[in-house]
Amino acid sequence: MSTITAKAPPVETPFLRLARDFARSRTALAGLAVLALIVLAALLARWVVPQDPYDLAQLDILDGMMAPGSLGGGGWTYWLGTDDQGRDMLSAIVFGLRTSLLVGVVATLIALAVGVAVGLLAAYAGDRVDGLVMRLVDIQLSFPAILIALILLALLGKGVDKVIVALAAVQWAYYARTIRGSALVERRKEYIEAAQCLALPHRRIMMRHLLPNCLPPLIVVATVQVAHAIALEATLSFLGVGVPVTQPSLGMLIASGYQYMLSGDYWVSLFPGLALLVTIVAINLVGDRLRDVLNPRLNH
Amino acid sequence: MALRDRHRRLADALRSGTLKHTLPAVAALALLAAVPAPVRAATLTVGTSAEPSALDPHYHNLGPNTRARKHVFESLVSMDAKMRLQPELAESWRAVDETTWEFTLRKGVKFHDGTEFTAQDFIYSVCRIPNVANSPSSFTVYTKGIAGIEAPDPHTLVIKTAKPYPLLPVELSTFGIISAKAAGGEAVTFDKAGCKADSWPTTQAFNDGSLMIGTGPFRHKSYTKGDRQVLERNPDYWGPQPAWDTVVFRPITSDGPRVAALLAGDVDMIESPPVQDIERLKSAPNVSLAQAQSNRVIYLALGVQDTPPTITGTDGKNPLKDPKVRKALSLAVDRDAIVKRIMMGVAEPANQYLPAGFYGNNPEITVATDANKAKQLLAEAGYPKGFQLTLGTPNDRYINDDKVAQAVAQMFTRIGVQTQVDATTANVFFSKRNKQEYSVFLAGWGADSGEMSSPLKALIATPIKEKGYGTTNYTSYSDPELDGMLDTALATVDDAKREKLLQAAVKRAVDADIIIPLHYEVTVWAMKKGLSYEPRADQYTLAQKVTPAK
Repeated sequence: MSTITAKAPPVETPFLRLARDFARSRTALAGLAVLALIVLAALLARWVVPQDPYDLAQLDILDGMMAPGSLGGGGWTYWLGTDDQGRDMLSAIVFGLRTSLLVGVVATLIALAVGVAVGLLAAYAGDRVDGLVMRLVDIQLSFPAILIALILLALLGKGVDKVIVALAAVQWAYYARTIRGSALVERRKEYIEAAQCLALPHRRIMMRHLLPNCLPPLIVVATVQVAHAIALEATLSFLGVGVPVTQPSLGMLIASGYQYMLSGDYWVSLFPGLALLVTIVAINLVGDRLRDVLNPRLNH
Repeated sequence: MALRDRHRRLADALRSGTLKHTLPAVAALALLAAVPAPVRAATLTVGTSAEPSALDPHYHNLGPNTRARKHVFESLVSMDAKMRLQPELAESWRAVDETTWEFTLRKGVKFHDGTEFTAQDFIYSVCRIPNVANSPSSFTVYTKGIAGIEAPDPHTLVIKTAKPYPLLPVELSTFGIISAKAAGGEAVTFDKAGCKADSWPTTQAFNDGSLMIGTGPFRHKSYTKGDRQVLERNPDYWGPQPAWDTVVFRPITSDGPRVAALLAGDVDMIESPPVQDIERLKSAPNVSLAQAQSNRVIYLALGVQDTPPTITGTDGKNPLKDPKVRKALSLAVDRDAIVKRIMMGVAEPANQYLPAGFYGNNPEITVATDANKAKQLLAEAGYPKGFQLTLGTPNDRYINDDKVAQAVAQMFTRIGVQTQVDATTANVFFSKRNKQEYSVFLAGWGADSGEMSSPLKALIATPIKEKGYGTTNYTSYSDPELDGMLDTALATVDDAKREKLLQAAVKRAVDADIIIPLHYEVTVWAMKKGLSYEPRADQYTLAQKVTPAK
């Protein structure tokens, strides 16, 4: 990578250097550990919690609205209580996290792919293509993300896949703008000129020469955007336009518990809210640290 | 001037007896202070759960609009808290023969502008109803039955119907009477084919207050959409004087803020506090509650379309066409559990379409819950492994609607029918439902006539436009025998005989398991301690019926 200076020890790969730099911050390490735990729990959801909250046959409304620590009809204890449908909150939170992470990561990957393709093309082609694409990006960014997502979901209907499409549609513009900025800088450097002189195909220059050198800022933006996507999905579900009611995500759990807040039944809203908070903070800690270690100007 | 007005009001109040109970207290205070006690203007502020779409009494047949209308405009006949008919602007009425009715109007009733109420005002109102521009839901459903109106003298109305029409007095209670003189309609005569007038008053003329001239206990004072409607007492009202000089209606549509407004003392009374807050309100020291069973039933409708829109796993066949499958779904539903857990006890399990005590309720009908029997019936019908269905529901129309739907989905899933819930906001839901895009949906029906023919006609009768049948039947179900039973009932003027016929019809309807009753909503009002309100089955909040407690 171009940021590596000649003084770097020859045995250390860029990845190792990155890992070492990253590990210098204790908070970032803690964030990474928490994040790893959450991802692990979400991946193994079916095996780590007592109930499948999406299987209606396992729910019983007679177990509804039980306080944390109550013993349920199924013979196990509801450590975090139940919601009005008799869903074990712990199970619902872990499954909800799975939905949130899935939506956040997949939507970000799709948006990243679209944004990178469009932004790189704009930067490389320049002129009219650049102007057209970037005005499109400007228009999209002038609307609040939540508004666009709401309109899209009103048209598409409900479902995890549709939320992913809506979030990807909202986010691609950020990546397009980010990569265009760094690609414009890289494009004027000698190695690109050299590649062009060799008459390499445009696609090869873009993918093999330009793209790898524009990656660091993208990684940072993507990490932060995952957290944004998760928060946006929670907002959409809170407003009742995201996932189906029988497969609640964290936002929907918070929304349904919100109605009980004034009545003193705090647990339905509080615990999913905490889970969402912890997840987003963990991702942001990791993202912030990544920004620091990938930014040559902040690198001591 | 203001002082004289106040004295007159005080005199009115003394005459009508509303101050009877405060008088000793006032006297005691006067003695203590040895100065004349000032009379404080009594104001009632009500937080409503929904706002009228217009003040025009004929614009939109919708609950909040009728609630607002009933303060300013009256009808010939009205309903008491239990939805029994009682005289309002008509003192009495009788059926002269099967198709002729005679109404004797109250004498000495004055509109808010001082002119006298006569038969012409009624004729003009009936004439205007079909001529309201852009009405989203017209009152013509209630004037359609009228074939002719004559007024032999200013205080007698003779109303003709095309065929025997026992519901006429009920339907006359649904719309308000406006002043013909104020609207420039003194010469308009009734014509079944359409009355003639140079122009009809616009909805805007009511919204800006210029035509808000009725005979009701309150006069219109001001209206700011989205904020408040202010009414003041009508000192010349023919009936008992209301206890309030000023009434303010404030729409607070979110549940939490509405409850908070009451607890903070911003409003004196609120409509429908959320069921999960009722326990807490009961224990609040300065709040009292009033609750009544409503005329609204929450039901599941099972569609019998040839190709089911939201059922899979049956090779394209519609399992709901088999009465056994429908019975199984009805047996799967545990109504007591829904009422207890989802409605927090603030509802009543339903076995038909109107609660006991309403006209046409059949006390012999029962519905059972039996999951094992349900599984057995499914197996007998050829679906031992069940099938998959999607249940449609609004999520902001009825009390806890989407939560009830999820509970139903649980119960269906437990007998093997894998159920998904499609919960959407009301207008999306209703447009999808009206296009029959759901095999099964959850909805509610409030019988504004307070008797059984209303739900039967609307929900399960075969859609026949001229008869007004099946206006909300989105199940493709048609039972000519049931339609015939309804025809006979609706042409029977004798009340006792008609009730028997309706009871037989509702039995047949419930047994078909097309419209499965779940529960009756219970309407709750919460108010400051010291106020009292007789809870109304029709769910209206009427300021004239709110009294300072004894």
